[in-house]
Order: sequence, then structure tokens, then C-alpha cells
Amino acid sequence: MFSKSTAGLEGFEAAAMPHLTALYRTAKFLVRNPAEAEDLVQDVYLEALKSFHRFQPGTNCKAWLFSILFHRFHHLRRRMLKSSLEETLPDQDSMAAEPPAPQEIKDEEILAALDKVPLAFREVVVMADIEEFSYKEIAGALKLPLGTVMSRLSRGRKLLREELSEVAKSYGIGNRTQHAAEGEPA
Amino acid sequence: MNVLNFDSRQCDRTRRQMDAYLSNELLVETTDDMLRHLEDCEGCSSELESRMRIREALQGAAARQPAPEELGENIHQRLKKAQSRPYWTARAPAWTLALAGVALIAIAAIAGQQWMRMERAREMVASVLQLGVSDHLHCAIRGHNYPDVANPPEVLRKKLGPQYARLLPAVETKLPGFQVLEAHICSVPGSPRKYVHFITRGEGTILSVILTRRDGESLPAGRFVTGGSFGNVNLYEKQLEGMSVAGFEVGGYFGFVVSNLGQHDTNQLAEGLAPALQTALNAGASRAATSVYVTLFQG
Repeated sequence: MFSKSTAGLEGFEAAAMPHLTALYRTAKFLVRNPAEAEDLVQDVYLEALKSFHRFQPGTNCKAWLFSILFHRFHHLRRRMLKSSLEETLPDQDSMAAEPPAPQEIKDEEILAALDKVPLAFREVVVMADIEEFSYKEIAGALKLPLGTVMSRLSRGRKLLREELSEVAKSYGIGNRTQHAAEGEPA
Repeated sequence: MNVLNFDSRQCDRTRRQMDAYLSNELLVETTDDMLRHLEDCEGCSSELESRMRIREALQGAAARQPAPEELGENIHQRLKKAQSRPYWTARAPAWTLALAGVALIAIAAIAGQQWMRMERAREMVASVLQLGVSDHLHCAIRGHNYPDVANPPEVLRKKLGPQYARLLPAVETKLPGFQVLEAHICSVPGSPRKYVHFITRGEGTILSVILTRRDGESLPAGRFVTGGSFGNVNLYEKQLEGMSVAGFEVGGYFGFVVSNLGQHDTNQLAEGLAPALQTALNAGASRAATSVYVTLFQG
């Protein structure tokens, strides 16, 4: 009477488990710590199982799981920080020229750059550029107005690019790119 | 080589739309406008290329970040554990526990009602099966209303009357090893109820086959079908007063096979007999309906 049937669990796992990798990597981009990311993802699955009866088959299961992920993540974060997310936002967009992206970008460089982007922008960039959610789905999962999603994505991409330029410089890639442009041997 | 386009307003617009373009959120018409501008503008074109390169690099790097191998299994185990655990042990605020308490009381009340209903159903089955045992004991065992040498079939048919004589072949053939000694319509002292009674002998004992009208009453289905279901016949079993009874419904009747053979054997005999009785009753139903009533209730 109190527990769900095995058939229910099987149905849930069939729908939800294919999104494990996406949930885990996103969790890791959010919390930055692999162990914490694992805990977060496990919590998401437990939470999702409990409310699986509310999930409508045929609708986007991945978007549903991500909205649980962000709900859970923001809840934990608010409890820990007891501060508003908005306070951490950097100044609005400057009109400074954007540095060109390096021709070759290594995984560790782009991931290091992403890591430096403030959370409010990072989460939108991850949702849009890695998981390829629509603006509407991102707005739903992050409980943000559509306009805010758009402006954070624009700003987040710009910040990522600036950080990448910095990271590339520290890896010496900026120099390499410059040398190549100047026609010097690599 | 592309001709440089110095229309800065168009460049501004294109760059503002680039984010939406990258996310595939632009209207088709706007996309067409933008692509036309990109063909002519090297600056915007290389800007878009730069942005796309970063996006692709990000996607590629993320895709090469696998989840730990054991994570899936760990989650599966936790889900299984959570599923087998009652909901109320999960972390829950006080009001949900209070609500759960109220729900439990409601569930208990419903369960109580359910239990009462089940008890009544169980009692109903027992009282119906009791009829068969009582009839067997009253007429065959204590009354010894059968001859030592079996009555010839024509006598049995006469005693049964035209409506029930058709049941005789079923009883004769479907109880292997048993001989029909006696068959008649029996009445219950102090009750208007009558029953069709076949008294048979075999395996060193006396076995009764009894049919009595059920007057629209039905035995409950589901879990109360204690003896199993065979085709469209449900079997109900019980041991009462040293007898095993297997009850079933055939047409408008409750049927019983009663003996002291043990439940398993009694059930097996009933299982073979019930469909044959059903067929015989169906065959005679249209013609016999009126006289069955007369025979059993006014005869």
C-alpha cells in the first residue's frame, strides 16, 4: 500500500537512467566537486522517483530531471550560503572588444574557463550550449523569465570567451596562435 | 574574397542575434537576413565562427566527461531501497507527518470496512458450503437414504424427474470409480429449500453430489475462490464436520461434492464434474425453467 511496484521502478529507470551522464556532468559544472556531484545526482533520482507519478509520459524527461536537479541544487545552495544569487552577479555587459577564440581549444582549457564563469551565467551556458535545451526549457528549469535566460546566456558566453582567452594565455596558446598568425614556425 | 560591409547598424543587429542563432532560437526569416549579411561581412562571419568554435569545444569537452562507472549501480540500489521503504520514513516536515497520520486513520477505517466486507464474504462462503455438508450428513450419512445395491438407472431417472434426469449421465461418467446408488429430490426439514441429491459409493466411502437453487445469490470471486478456477468454474473448498466439501456455481444452482475422502480428492472430482453439470443444465435450461421451479419449490 505504501510502496511503489517493481514495475514502477523499472518504468522510471527506463525513462530516467539514460540521462545519468548529462545530469552528472551538469551537476559537476554546478558544484565543481565530483563527490558532491554524485550525491546531488543521487538525490535528484530519489526525488524524481517520488514524483514520477506526476511526470507525463511522452513529455521531455530530460528537461523534467534537469528542473529537479536545479531545484535541488539551488535549495542546497541557498541553505548553505543564505545569500541571494543575484548578489554574486558581476557588472553588466561592457562593450569591450571580444578576444578571438583560439583555433585549437583543449578540453582542460575550455573546462577551466567554464569553471571561472560565475554560477548564474555558467548554469545557463551549460543548459544551452552543452545540453542544448531551448530558452523555454531553461527558463522552466531555472525558474527565470525568458528575457533573463537570454541576457545571461549572452553574457555567460562572453565571459566564457574572456576566461578562455586568459586560460589560453596561461597555457601559452595565445602566444602560439599569435606566432602562427605572424607566419612564424610553430 | 568577401567585400567588407561597413553597415555598422546591420553588424550590431547581427551580433545581437548571434546568441539566438547559435541556440537555434531565431525565426526563419531573421536567420535568412542574418545569413545574407554574413555572406557580405567578414567581421561578423569570423565572429560567428569564433563563437561556434567555443561552443563546439565546450560540447566536445563535456561529452568526454563520463559519469563514474559505479554511479548508475549506486543509484539503482538506492532507488530499490527507497522503493521498499515506507514513504513516511523519508525525511518529511512535521505537517506531512500529521497529514500522514490522518491518512493512516482514514486508511485504517477503509481497511476496517474492507476487513468487515471480507469477513462477511468469508462467512457467506462458509454458510453456503455448510448447506452441502448438512444435506450430505442429514440425508446420506445419518439418514442412510440409499440402498446397498444401486437403484437401476430408470428408477433414478424417474425419481429425479425429467428436468434432473439429464444430470444423471454427468454424475455417472464424471466420478470415475463411483457408482450412483440413489438420486432424488430432497427437502430440508423446517425449510422451503429443496435439493437434488445424488448418493454415490466408491473408494470405500459415500460421496454426495448436491445441487440447490441459489436464488440469485453468488459466491464472492477473487481471493475467496479457495479451491482454484477451472475454465469458468470457481471452486470453493472447506472442511466441516469431518467432511470435505467442494462448492461451485452451475447455472442457477450451488453445486457441492461432499465426502470424507480428503479435500484434494474431493476437489478433483468436483473439478471434473462441475463443467459436465453446467452443460447438462444449459441443455435443459430453456425447456426446464418452469418445471425446475415447480419441482424444487412447490413440488
